[in-house]
Amino acid sequence: MKTLVNVARYHLVDRLTYVALPWGIMAFSFLVNLVIATVLPSPQGDYTGGLVTIYIFLLICGAISMTRALPFGLMLGISRRTYYLGTALLIAALGVVYGLGLTLLQAVERATGGWGTGLHFFRVPWIMDGPWYQTWLTSFVLLVLFFLYGMWYGLVYRRWNLVGLVTFVAAQVLAGLVVVVAASITHNWAAVGHFFTTLTAPALTGVLAAVAAALGLGGLTTIRRVTI
Amino acid sequence: MPPLDEGTPLFVQIAEQLADDIVDGVLAEGARAPSTNELAAFYRINPATAAKGINLLVDEAVLEKRRGIGMFVASGAREQLRAGRRKRFAEQYLEPMLAEAKRLGIDTDTLVSLIQGSGWHNGGDRP
Amino acid sequence: MTPTISTTALGRRYRGQAALEDVSLEVEPDTVTGLLGRNGAGKTTLMRIVTGLEFPTSGSIAVFGETPAENESVLRRMVFVREDQAYPDLRVSHVIRVASWFYPNWSEELARQLLTDFDLPLQRRIRKLSRGMRSAVGIVIGLAARAELTLFDEPYAGLDAVARQLFYDRLLADFAEHPRTVVLSTHLIDEVADLLEHVVVLDRGRVVLDAPADDVRGTAMTVSGPVTAVEEFVAGRAVWHRQRLGARAAVTVAGPLGAAAQARARALHLSLEPLTLQQLLVHAASSPADEKVSA
Repeated sequence: MKTLVNVARYHLVDRLTYVALPWGIMAFSFLVNLVIATVLPSPQGDYTGGLVTIYIFLLICGAISMTRALPFGLMLGISRRTYYLGTALLIAALGVVYGLGLTLLQAVERATGGWGTGLHFFRVPWIMDGPWYQTWLTSFVLLVLFFLYGMWYGLVYRRWNLVGLVTFVAAQVLAGLVVVVAASITHNWAAVGHFFTTLTAPALTGVLAAVAAALGLGGLTTIRRVTI
Repeated sequence: MPPLDEGTPLFVQIAEQLADDIVDGVLAEGARAPSTNELAAFYRINPATAAKGINLLVDEAVLEKRRGIGMFVASGAREQLRAGRRKRFAEQYLEPMLAEAKRLGIDTDTLVSLIQGSGWHNGGDRP
Repeated sequence: MTPTISTTALGRRYRGQAALEDVSLEVEPDTVTGLLGRNGAGKTTLMRIVTGLEFPTSGSIAVFGETPAENESVLRRMVFVREDQAYPDLRVSHVIRVASWFYPNWSEELARQLLTDFDLPLQRRIRKLSRGMRSAVGIVIGLAARAELTLFDEPYAGLDAVARQLFYDRLLADFAEHPRTVVLSTHLIDEVADLLEHVVVLDRGRVVLDAPADDVRGTAMTVSGPVTAVEEFVAGRAVWHRQRLGARAAVTVAGPLGAAAQARARALHLSLEPLTLQQLLVHAASSPADEKVSA
């Protein structure tokens, strides 16, 4: 356990990448949106997707954890499994803490009526506009999910190089294409639409959590044969 | 730092250098001999090699081990070493000299006068 | 005592090419073993397998009695200083600090001493260091870790002769005070020859020599002098190399030469010079399969 914590500490030594940049970039996006909302207000309130910046950056952190940070990590006398689990521990902790931060900001936004300008930055309709515990949980799941997804890119690159990486992306596009074609051919768009409209936010969170768990376990198997 | 040549095994050279010090009186009888680590650091060699060299001298009873303290020069070691070297003197030094003298055509009388003229004091112990 | 490293018919193939083949050797605890050989001989591959970074394709390996790959209890007791270690984008002081968390025998005092000795700028980002300084960081970690099994793979890329000697001296001093198993792979054989207790030579993935260093020294001698005298002396001996210049010849023969032979050489006014470890290995590596150095 101590070793896992040390792996997490190792990543966190790079506070710029793991703390300053995600929050900094999100803060920047927030300020830009705030200015726009103040200068060009809209009657129903300004809705923006700017919150996505912190998630995107965590995706980048995930990729870095399996590329730039990996060689030295493995030099420290630990197995790949320990390295992976320690990194997972890190993102779990960050997910809890950062999720809490986002929840608090959401509460402040709600209390100030959108920072006095009707801005909906931390309140994302339907998925993150509910009770604080739901927001916290959903933020946690999303943060972890994006990080794990980024880790996968790093792992695929490490194990199968650029060709593997391109294949990885192509496979995902292909999978999406298959779903679209299948839905069209079987005239199932109505069913798909029905599925999404009846999906509640907590249920979606559950689905995303399941995806995150799958990515997590898959990554553990993939890293076993990575060589540096 | 005296250079170590590649001919004789390293540990033998270590032993010989220590023996030289004892014969010259630099390392007195009853004095503590350098430790394995000290020798290793001084000659920049592996401690195991240094240990082998010391053990050679221990086997010859030139050095004795005092448990917990270290290696010490045994009493009588100096004379013991000198006696051994006197035996080898003829083979190691005298014969090559005579061979070279013969090669250069130096006869016995010339050789003797060369020796006397060099300031050689008729044997005897050094102080 | 169980050997620290023990391999049996270890092999590693890449796309049909054998990087290692039929490697069976043992490394005893608390010794300094030199892992020598040409570029591409398989030294790095062997060390990578020992440290669990690579997986063998045939044969087996045991480190501290167990397979090293993904084995925490074994990996924790090792440190591997590589020539091409990649570091994250951190400062030198951070890299050292992180390393100190993971090695159970870490000596902060030794680390600080070495950082001063190598004159390393603690606040500079490691990626901005020269190659030599980056190698020095690796050496600091490798020595301060005081790991039971310490492996160095050509750790001195970019280090000048003074810094290299510093490395050898510190390695020797700390090895004497805190014995551990050291495996050192190098091209600069003569620089480390006196540090080695045991020598393993690889050539094209195979072990061509595995012997105590003392046995290897004096394995061959170069006899030089007037041609006729030299030829008379070397008659009946295994000759490795002949060289002539006018009326003089220098012939390398397999040794060792006993006291009698040495005396005879002196009588014939021949000079005898033993081959250095480096010269011996150049010969071992370049000779055809049936002319191996035996010790």
